[in-house]
Amino acid sequence: MLEISNLIKRYGHDEPVLKGLDLAVEDNSVIAIVGASGAGKSTLLRCINRLVEPTSGSIKLNGTEIVNLRHRDLRRVRRKIGMVFQGFNLIDRLTVMENVLAGRLGYVSLFQAVTRRYPAADIERAFVLMERVGIAHYANKRADELSGGERQRVGVVRALMQEPEVLLADEPTASLDPRTSEQIMVLLQSLASELSLPVLINIHNVAQARSYTDRIVGLRHGTMIFDGTPGDFDKEALDTIYGGIEAPEDDTAPPPSSGEREKEAPHDAT
Amino acid sequence: MVEQDDLLAARIWRRHDPREQLIRYGALLATLMLVVWAVRDIDIFWPWVWDAPNQISSLGARMWPPDPGRLGEITRAMLETVHIATLATMLTVFIALPVSYIAAQNTTPNRACLWLGRFILVASRSVNTIIWALLFVAIFGPGVLAGILAIMCRSVGFIGKLMGEAIEEIDRRPVEAMEATGASKAKVIAYAIVPQVVPAFFAIVILRWDINIRESTVLGLVGAGGIGVILQGSIDTFAWQTVATILIAIIALVLIGEALTGLLRRRVM
Amino acid sequence: MTRPDPGDTTPVRIWRKPPFIANPMLRYGLLVLLVAYLIWALATLPFNWERIGEGLPRAARIFGGGFPPNFSRFDLLLTGFTESLQIAILATLLGVLLSIPFAVMAARNIAPLPVYLLGRAVIIISRSFHPVIVAILFVAAVGFGPLAGILTLTLYSIGFVGKLLAEEIEEIDWGQVEAMRATGAGYLATLYYAVFPQILPRQVGLSMYQLDSNLRASAVVGIVGAGGIGSTLMNAFGRYDYDFAFAILLVIIAVILVSEGISGWVRKQIW
Repeated sequence: MLEISNLIKRYGHDEPVLKGLDLAVEDNSVIAIVGASGAGKSTLLRCINRLVEPTSGSIKLNGTEIVNLRHRDLRRVRRKIGMVFQGFNLIDRLTVMENVLAGRLGYVSLFQAVTRRYPAADIERAFVLMERVGIAHYANKRADELSGGERQRVGVVRALMQEPEVLLADEPTASLDPRTSEQIMVLLQSLASELSLPVLINIHNVAQARSYTDRIVGLRHGTMIFDGTPGDFDKEALDTIYGGIEAPEDDTAPPPSSGEREKEAPHDAT
Repeated sequence: MVEQDDLLAARIWRRHDPREQLIRYGALLATLMLVVWAVRDIDIFWPWVWDAPNQISSLGARMWPPDPGRLGEITRAMLETVHIATLATMLTVFIALPVSYIAAQNTTPNRACLWLGRFILVASRSVNTIIWALLFVAIFGPGVLAGILAIMCRSVGFIGKLMGEAIEEIDRRPVEAMEATGASKAKVIAYAIVPQVVPAFFAIVILRWDINIRESTVLGLVGAGGIGVILQGSIDTFAWQTVATILIAIIALVLIGEALTGLLRRRVM
Repeated sequence: MTRPDPGDTTPVRIWRKPPFIANPMLRYGLLVLLVAYLIWALATLPFNWERIGEGLPRAARIFGGGFPPNFSRFDLLLTGFTESLQIAILATLLGVLLSIPFAVMAARNIAPLPVYLLGRAVIIISRSFHPVIVAILFVAAVGFGPLAGILTLTLYSIGFVGKLLAEEIEEIDWGQVEAMRATGAGYLATLYYAVFPQILPRQVGLSMYQLDSNLRASAVVGIVGAGGIGSTLMNAFGRYDYDFAFAILLVIIAVILVSEGISGWVRKQIW
């Protein structure tokens, strides 16, 4: 359970990027956050794990207040918040396995981290998760030898290695081609239900948001102007969010039926 | 002449508005005046200048043929030179890395550390190796220790500056990702920063080792060990043929060093 | 799990980071070699521990004598620096001019093979020797004073600028040369119209860099008697005049920083 109330973020003396946001996320739900560029989506996610310092407000993860934590306590709560990035943010020169194990950095000692002597349970977990998303055979390949879709799978597995209580995904499909991005969305959706994990996804692609999430939150200029099910998210809501200025990738691609969605094959990484 | 050529060439190949033309002539005039001042004011006894070619060729003649008589001694001194350069380069790494860490904008713990780091780098870089050697010979007496310390003091600035730049140029995104996993600062460095700067590190250290070999050939001239000691001795005793042997040995050493560093560089890249 | 791996029977798997060097023989061999080298180097180097032991009191005496730095003989300091500057200017001018013919000689694409080898040899030799070694030889040949310094730094500049310039010439746009040849131009005319215009902008920037570099070097070649501030510094050190020596050192550092700044600024303006 993630509860955000009256969250404000202001950079310097400019107009606030987030203007008093309230949002409650139940476990086991996938939420899409949509909005034009600069609407504050990325800032919102980064406030949750404090990569960006909120100016004021409250963020509670399973009852723990996050906003005023410091140092060690902050790191402890961060390891309960997994994050998937638009640019994957992998360490290119390390192997896939090392990138995945990096998700355990909040748990292991510095000595274990530097010598790569991770507990056997971590390594087992890494293999299981990598098999789940179909990248186990790449364990000893360098991360920069993988394709975009595979790299994002590494990013997802790294986040899951943290045993997170919530998963944040910042435009996880924006750097991928349409087919691969569908696969990643399917993956996030099914992982959320398997692990009963709340997932917040920043997303530009409204069609994908409607197909793969349970709830859509629309941001515009730092305020929430839509909150509802994909069914309620109609043309009018779309126009309000994007102000009619920008026409995002709209309903040209019809949402695949639920039957199609089940066909997702984790091992088809290209 | 250079400036003239440049202007001539410029007129053919480029368009210049009058203001640019004026700046060019101004720069040319200033250069000319500077040169005239330097030539007229410098403390040179001109007859010696006209005699210089004779003197140089006669010195060259006295060097021929090179005398291999003290080759064993020279070889040992050459090895000593290489040891000084190598040990100093290795030891420098341990100092230069922390300094580069605090002197890089994005990793420095605070402002005070940043300025301390920058001060160390500037101080180290502005004093030439041989001046460092002069100082250390005065402190620790003649010998290889002074040489090693001198090379180290100069190399810290070189390696530290370049490593600091490498750290500043890293991709920020893996750092962000590591912070998001709840990793401590040390772990973020080990995972997100170190792997990114490793190639630059090897390239820089190899480059400096190559430079240090050259530098350590002159340490002996102020008494800080290596081949320079024998060179100075031979010059003082007018043993020009031995000097010639030493010079050939230095060229050989430098060329071997260059070939080796070229090989190593291709290996790590 | 939507798709459990059928081949997965072992409950706990082992993963080790693949070693940096795959071959274990080579890996440990290199390590042994490194240790052996260190032992050998440290064992053969002559350290005079008694003399080194006296170091700390001596350092205290030197730094005690050196602070505060003594700027009272400012005129001497100024004379030394003026001479260094003059040496640097003249050596840069001569070096940059002379580097052009040597660079042409050492560029494989426009020089015939024997000339190329000669040009390369000159550049390699002048680059192999540290300027201080060259300086000590010139001092022996033409005597103490700035003349030896100018000769040294000229040779040094030829080596450095010549090498870079030769590389630049090897990378020129060959089309312009062909165009000149097509007009029936001779060798020198081709050089002048098709090669020099392509390399000269770079040459101006290089001369600024070289002036800065020569100013630094002129402070050192003086240590072996080739004139300039280095000689002043060496004299001060020789007379245990540490407060004056430290004053000189501080001024050297200041001048080098200023000169680096100016040279960087000018190069930015040109490029």
